[in-house]
Amino acid sequence: MKIVLKAALATGLLASPATAAELTVLTAGDQNMVDYVNEYLAPLFEEQNPGNTVRVVGTGPGDAGSQKIVERSEAQGKANAETWDYDVAVVHEKFVGPLVKAGYLEQYRDRISTGKLVTRANADMALGTDVKGYVMPMFNSQTALAYNPALVSNPPKSYEELVNWAKENPGKFGYNGIKGGASGVSFVMGWIYAFGEGDANKLMNGPFEEAETKKWDGALASLKDFTTNAQLTPGNAGTLDMLSRGEIAIGPVWVDMFYSWQANGQLPPEFKLVLPEPGMPGQPMHYVIPSKATDVKLAEKFVELATSPKVQAEGIVERFSWYPGIDAQHVQAELEPASWNKLFTDVTPEDLAKNGKPFPIAPYNSAILEAYERSVSN
Amino acid sequence: MTTRLTGLLLVLPALAMVLLFFILPLSASVIGAFEVETGFGLANFVKAFDFYSQDMLFTLVIVCLSTVLIGLLAIAIGGYLTLGENPRAVAILRNLYRWPMFIPFIVVGQVMRTFLAKNGLMNSTLAASGLIDPAQAVSLLDWRGIVIAFVWKQTPFVALLVAGSMASLDRGTIEAARNLGASRLRILVEIVVPQVARTIMVGLILSFVTMMSVLSVPLMINAQSPTMLTADIAFRINAYGDYGTANALGTISLVMSAAAALIYLRMTLRERS
Amino acid sequence: MMRMSPLSLDLWWLPRAASLGLLAFVIFGPLGNLLLWAFTEKWYYPHTLPLEYGLSFWSKVFSARGNALESLSNSVLVACLTVLLSLALAVPAGYALARLKLPWRGAILLAFLIPQAFPNLTVYVNIARLFYQIGLNGTILGVVIVHTTHGLVFAVWIATAAFSAVDHELEQAARSIGAGPLRTFFDVTLPLALPGLMASAIFVFLESLDEFTGSYFVGAPDVNMLPLLLYTAGSGGNYQIASITAVLLLIPSIGFMLFVERFLKADVLSRVGH
Repeated sequence: MKIVLKAALATGLLASPATAAELTVLTAGDQNMVDYVNEYLAPLFEEQNPGNTVRVVGTGPGDAGSQKIVERSEAQGKANAETWDYDVAVVHEKFVGPLVKAGYLEQYRDRISTGKLVTRANADMALGTDVKGYVMPMFNSQTALAYNPALVSNPPKSYEELVNWAKENPGKFGYNGIKGGASGVSFVMGWIYAFGEGDANKLMNGPFEEAETKKWDGALASLKDFTTNAQLTPGNAGTLDMLSRGEIAIGPVWVDMFYSWQANGQLPPEFKLVLPEPGMPGQPMHYVIPSKATDVKLAEKFVELATSPKVQAEGIVERFSWYPGIDAQHVQAELEPASWNKLFTDVTPEDLAKNGKPFPIAPYNSAILEAYERSVSN
Repeated sequence: MTTRLTGLLLVLPALAMVLLFFILPLSASVIGAFEVETGFGLANFVKAFDFYSQDMLFTLVIVCLSTVLIGLLAIAIGGYLTLGENPRAVAILRNLYRWPMFIPFIVVGQVMRTFLAKNGLMNSTLAASGLIDPAQAVSLLDWRGIVIAFVWKQTPFVALLVAGSMASLDRGTIEAARNLGASRLRILVEIVVPQVARTIMVGLILSFVTMMSVLSVPLMINAQSPTMLTADIAFRINAYGDYGTANALGTISLVMSAAAALIYLRMTLRERS
Repeated sequence: MMRMSPLSLDLWWLPRAASLGLLAFVIFGPLGNLLLWAFTEKWYYPHTLPLEYGLSFWSKVFSARGNALESLSNSVLVACLTVLLSLALAVPAGYALARLKLPWRGAILLAFLIPQAFPNLTVYVNIARLFYQIGLNGTILGVVIVHTTHGLVFAVWIATAAFSAVDHELEQAARSIGAGPLRTFFDVTLPLALPGLMASAIFVFLESLDEFTGSYFVGAPDVNMLPLLLYTAGSGGNYQIASITAVLLLIPSIGFMLFVERFLKADVLSRVGH
């Protein structure tokens, strides 16, 4: 017994703080995100920076994964840890605000050469919090409606058309409510943008006004009515799952997840996407660096590599058909037209520009979710 | 007095472990449930009941129903292993029933999601063998799916305990009753079960508590309203960063589990006195 | 009764086969589903079975940069240590709770239940903070401690029940022929309670092997455990990787159970000769 415990202590001690320059990357998101960093980015970085190694920990998909990174930071912050046990993290847009407000992050964007390749507004503001300089977008993700062309020959192009379609085809539209992941949340936000009485732009850009939250009653009542014709699916993956088994014909999904399900052979290759008017939300995944990272310089180098046009082209666009994090023109220049165009097979750049929306700013976001909990799901 | 002291000393290391490494960190969460902007109050609990009272009831019903089913099945399996007279059938059952125990809950969720769905493997197997008409296939992915997943995963756990306990019973009384012509069912109900009641209760309470705190099964099978409290807790944290209400829900869940445990404790207390 | 005649003996196989068959379908249906996914390359409607089988996801799990094997061995090491620590703590505690007069007995039993009963999501931040402060984060010992606090409820509650079930008279008989209290405990009480204790060891082992949240907060990134992979793949809907991971976890689980049963049988058998 004693020997075993001693062995445990020894292994424990050996396993604790690293001696060589080892960069630890935490990433929220699906398995393919972990694989991307581990199998593609890390070897590239190690090749360019001999002697250094990268290790990756996946914290789980969806908001829960990012929340676990926030909680890890809080635990270390409150414990007054000298240096933190991670150097770079990839988190969802929504969780950058809290991290910045708590003062945990390094303002590094201006110090890296790729910092000026990003001009999109969502790299400066994250759901109403100024995060300029603290983040670099890894990629931009978008929600859209996925459909089975065998069952839906003429897909609805707008929320209005979808309402009618669902009425004619009861039980063939499915979404995952709001508790099972952000693709359902995104569908609900799009619904409020489409049918809420207030100004959708105010929801996306602020400022927050209490009066605005009273303008959703009609939209939520019609959503409740609409939901009676819809099927509720168990989670982001649950929607894709029911699509793939032919139990529903159309449903909101994350575009990046849609492609990885196709790549994994879990979804037929002929399935398609459509981005309905007046638009559905999307969000970037951001690279952040904690101020107490063991090696901030090395972490910056890593993010610089990850957001370089070449890596964005080869890794993000070609490998996954994800929308790049840095501005499109820098990435497009690195790619064959064919690969670039593949990115826009179903959703054209014009659609994306017009109907790709941000999520509402944080206080509206919470208010809409609570209103939904109160009136739709009860 | 000295045996009391010895007793406490024997319990102390284990108790210290739980107090230091769980209950101490937990206390911050429980206190958090009572923290409101203006100090302390019950606002988080009011909100929890306001939003999730239906889910509390749903959770309780699901877990109680699952517990009852698990108990019945575990007694049936343990009973047959003890009283079954065909060695081959007993051997088959012994090798059969334990498998689900080894599958982690998150995989149970995934497996059931693809098995119980309308066009899932179960219905397609049944349809292919001509037992059901494909047009009539229904999805079981609602409260039934959660109950099935729980019963599937937890029955072997209780059955293993119960069967072990039944195996160590004195065979003499059973044989005597058998010779007097009592049916096996009667022996099971009147002789065997009363003697292993305590083990059955322990197994069931541990299952009850485990099911109360499982997140992945409701999340992967049915996270809609009504759903289980664990899904609500996760939602409060991930969507709103609202630890107050989440902790209030956690406290309510703890009270439910403690109530179930108290039933058992009172029972053993009565036995001891 | 009916069993007496050879003819009706055969007839009993009808209900037996029917119920065993049903049970087999209920148990192996979902398990078969799991195995199919572990070897699936392509599977979607309207195909009842996978369109293409293959091992490409296995090579992903075992890729040179993936740390599946290291995680698996960490998981097994932690699970074994957790079992040892839990049993070492639970045997004396269970004996005292079952046999000795204890103040606040009910409250003590309840205390062990709490780690399992309070949904853990909100607690781990606090645990992680504590462990960062005392330097246990990122160590095997830290993970073992977290898993033990969760496993103790199984160990202590089952040990208590097992010791309660041991016949008092056997102990008294041993004492009356001159055996000391310790000797009585090790020669009479402990062997009789052993089946229960071993069952609890299996549960503690499985609990530890499947645990994710604590392993993430206290173990990662220095001590990586297999459930981390399982959780990411499972909740993201990557069925293949989740199924493969589950199959990998089956190996130590079943191995441990066989080991326990063997050890148990040998022990019980050795006592028969005495």
